[in-house]
Amino acid sequence: MTARTVPIRAQLMRMLLLTSGMVLLFTCAAFVTYELTTFRQSTTRHLSTLGQAIAANSTAALAFDNPSDAKTVLSAFRADRSIVAAALYDSSGNLFASYPDDLTPDDLPRVVQSNGYRFEDGHVLGFEPVMEAGRPLGTLFLKSDLSAIRERFRSYGLITGIVIALSALLAYFVSYRQQSRISKPILALAEKARAVSDHNDYTVRAERSRTREIDSLTDAFNHMLTQIERSESRLRAQMGRLSLLQHITSAIGDRQDLPSIFQVVLRSVEENLPIDFGCFCLHEGANDTLTVKAVGAASQPLAATLGLTEHTSLPIDPNGLSRCMHGQLVYEPDVRDVPFPFPQRLADGGLRSLVIAPLSVESNVFGAFISARREPHAFTSADCEFLKQLSEHVALAAHQAQLYNALQRAYDDLRQSQHAVMQQERLRALGQMASGIAHDINNALSPVSLYTESLLEHEPNLSARARSSLEVIQRAIDDVASTVARMREFYRKREPELALGAVDLNRMVEQVLELTRARWLDVPQQRGAVIELNKELDRELPEIMGAEGEIRDALTNLVLNAADAMADGGTLTIRTSALEAASGERLAKIEVIDTGVGMDEETRRRCLEPFFTTKGERGTGLGLAMVYGMVQRHRGELEIESAPGQGTTVRLIFPGYEQSLHETMRLPTAALPKRRLRVLLIDDDPTIIKAMQDALEADGHTTVAANSGQAGIDTFTAAFGTANAFALVFTDLGMPRVDGRKVADEIKRLSPSTPVVLLTGWGQRMLTENDIPPNVDRVLSKPPRLHEVRLAIRELVE
Amino acid sequence: MAFLRLLRTLLLGAVLTTGQAVGAPTEYEIKAVFLLHFSRFVEWPPEAFTAPDAPFVVCVFGHDPFGEALDAAVRGEMQGQHPILARRIFNVTEARECHILFLHRSEDARLAEILTTLGRNSTLTVSDSVRGVRRGEVIRLITDNDRIRLRIDVDAARAARLKIKSNLLRAAELVGSTGD
Repeated sequence: MTARTVPIRAQLMRMLLLTSGMVLLFTCAAFVTYELTTFRQSTTRHLSTLGQAIAANSTAALAFDNPSDAKTVLSAFRADRSIVAAALYDSSGNLFASYPDDLTPDDLPRVVQSNGYRFEDGHVLGFEPVMEAGRPLGTLFLKSDLSAIRERFRSYGLITGIVIALSALLAYFVSYRQQSRISKPILALAEKARAVSDHNDYTVRAERSRTREIDSLTDAFNHMLTQIERSESRLRAQMGRLSLLQHITSAIGDRQDLPSIFQVVLRSVEENLPIDFGCFCLHEGANDTLTVKAVGAASQPLAATLGLTEHTSLPIDPNGLSRCMHGQLVYEPDVRDVPFPFPQRLADGGLRSLVIAPLSVESNVFGAFISARREPHAFTSADCEFLKQLSEHVALAAHQAQLYNALQRAYDDLRQSQHAVMQQERLRALGQMASGIAHDINNALSPVSLYTESLLEHEPNLSARARSSLEVIQRAIDDVASTVARMREFYRKREPELALGAVDLNRMVEQVLELTRARWLDVPQQRGAVIELNKELDRELPEIMGAEGEIRDALTNLVLNAADAMADGGTLTIRTSALEAASGERLAKIEVIDTGVGMDEETRRRCLEPFFTTKGERGTGLGLAMVYGMVQRHRGELEIESAPGQGTTVRLIFPGYEQSLHETMRLPTAALPKRRLRVLLIDDDPTIIKAMQDALEADGHTTVAANSGQAGIDTFTAAFGTANAFALVFTDLGMPRVDGRKVADEIKRLSPSTPVVLLTGWGQRMLTENDIPPNVDRVLSKPPRLHEVRLAIRELVE
Repeated sequence: MAFLRLLRTLLLGAVLTTGQAVGAPTEYEIKAVFLLHFSRFVEWPPEAFTAPDAPFVVCVFGHDPFGEALDAAVRGEMQGQHPILARRIFNVTEARECHILFLHRSEDARLAEILTTLGRNSTLTVSDSVRGVRRGEVIRLITDNDRIRLRIDVDAARAARLKIKSNLLRAAELVGSTGD
């Protein structure tokens, strides 16, 4: 309230007092004015009446000249104190009689004036004719004093003043009471308005007064408050929904998988909108149905009774669902009134109002968001709008999740293929390196192998001990050769031909434990750790069909891994047992169990990947990969059980021995050649030349050696057509300048009928890849075995 | 005109009575006017007139002290609808025709006879006798201290069925049943 404004109470009081004061004042003024104007007339009339009466009484006195009688008549004026002077004049205008007695002549007019009354100097003067029978007898003079009247007016004034004062006082009290009837409700209204604006509390209501206009003002005010309250609550609800929407969108923005998105949305909507039932359905294009994909946590019990649990398939109703599938938001205020199966299903579960919002991306509806409440007509337009917007967001998020998952899959595929390519590259490099090494090893082994075989065959006088040692050497050479051969398998796509044989796993376990003793017994002991060995071998274990070397290597790998896992000691258990498969097939199981550090889930999942290692620089990451490859090649199974700190169990299960397979795979036995041949040996490695010469000559063949490709060609050309022509050519593949291919080409050009045998450290690879060069009749891998050489000679020449 | 003359007469009378003016009205000039005035302050019964417009007769019996004064006073005057006439009578019987009958003091001897003659006739009898207080006339004019006073015998007036206005009664000395 600023200084210039005046409170309504004061204004009302002022107004009422001014009004009543004005009315009083005007009333009094009118009264006084009336009195003033009528006073003259009444005075005049009064005086005139009096004068006429006296004049009438004076006629005889005048007519019969009786002044004393006239005096008597005039003395009647004594009754009226206002008459201060009176006189009778005869018809000649002479003074005849006067009243009162003490009157001086100055008090009377000197001459008789015309009849009538007039006011003069606070007196009324009047001249009244004295007539008898229409004849004038004289004139009566009257003089009336107005002081009495003045006195009366003074009294009037006093009364008026008192009346005004009293009325004002009364008016003040009355108006004080009356104004409150107007000002009080207005002030109360103002108070309410202030309360509303101060506290933003729109629930207060002004009370009605008894004044119609103020009541309508109060009603308008209350109505306005109601409107504001309503719109504010609408606004709040809208804000709530907006923030809910925002909350949900930000929550689903963090999620990339559909079930999680659906659950987040359902939980938020169930708790905050809220709804009594909510679920998400996705459209199954194949049979044109909707499948429930997610049901809100709070809706689960209801969903169970409705038969709307997850993975339930819903036929698309003509109404409702089908409209939704056309992209419309469907709102059923009361599902009882909708005679279609799905709404009726909800109605049976006690739900009444239903909203189905489509999930669509680029006008392609792929699902629906179904929400329902128990009360009919329970969804406002704002709710529907909210659900519509929410479903749009969800649809977008779902779409994005799908895109993300597709992208993730593509990325995973890409990474996997990149990984595979990288791995293959590494394998190729490794394989190439391995091939080089294998070539050299094979070359180096060749004389050892040939001489050992030759000695065992051709020296019957060998002591039993020497023969035994030579046999060990021969087995070791075979193992080395097959190990070297397997080294190259890493970068092969095709599985190599397995050199299968019957394998006794129990014997294999003994061999492996013997070979690895240093690692599980000696090395830990140096660190003060003790690994106890626990062998549980099933004597009834069936033999299996397999490549002995591969299985030995795999077991060695497993034992070494187990030892590595128990750096602080533990128990190594190796158990074999016989099983019988459901089909009746016999199975052989072998378990390698340690009590070491174990593997976590991630490691366990990835441990079979090539190059995955937990051993850092010490590991190649190939051990278990090789084991797995071996198991697969043997049609076996591999199981790994492990948990961090719980140790690891690796279980290998192989199919049991089959006689027929064993028979077919039996290696052909070598036989001594029947003819003695002249053989040309071409190799840049003199030790191989020497070994081959010794071996072939021991069989009765004649050999000529050439230490390079060109020398070999020259020697063959020189001898060609003579008696010393060569029946067979053995040539190395890799030689400087002129290699085995060129040698073969030259020899075949000169003598197509002469067989050419290529000896190579890469031989196995060429065999398996059908990479036999033209003009070569046979490829033999190094180290050459005597029986292979003999077989080749017999097949090619004999 | 008569009015103006009357005024003059009255004026003269006033001058005469106050003694302040020359040519003041004589005693009988005043009495003549009085006679005229009586016609106005006294009401006669209707049977006093033979006709509505019958003359109102003012008579002087015997000695006439007025001379021209009475004639002058009544000339042209009316009493109601009745023109006022002045007559001098000498025969008593004629007195019955008079409405006002003045009897000079010199005719005192005839008063009783006249009154008897008149009986209950409605005649206002006026005398200026100086003898006795009450002799039967209705009005006696008494000259007192240069003023003419009136003495009214209300019994006589009642007997003559005359109504005398209160104005006149108040201005006069009354004798009879209500007076001394």
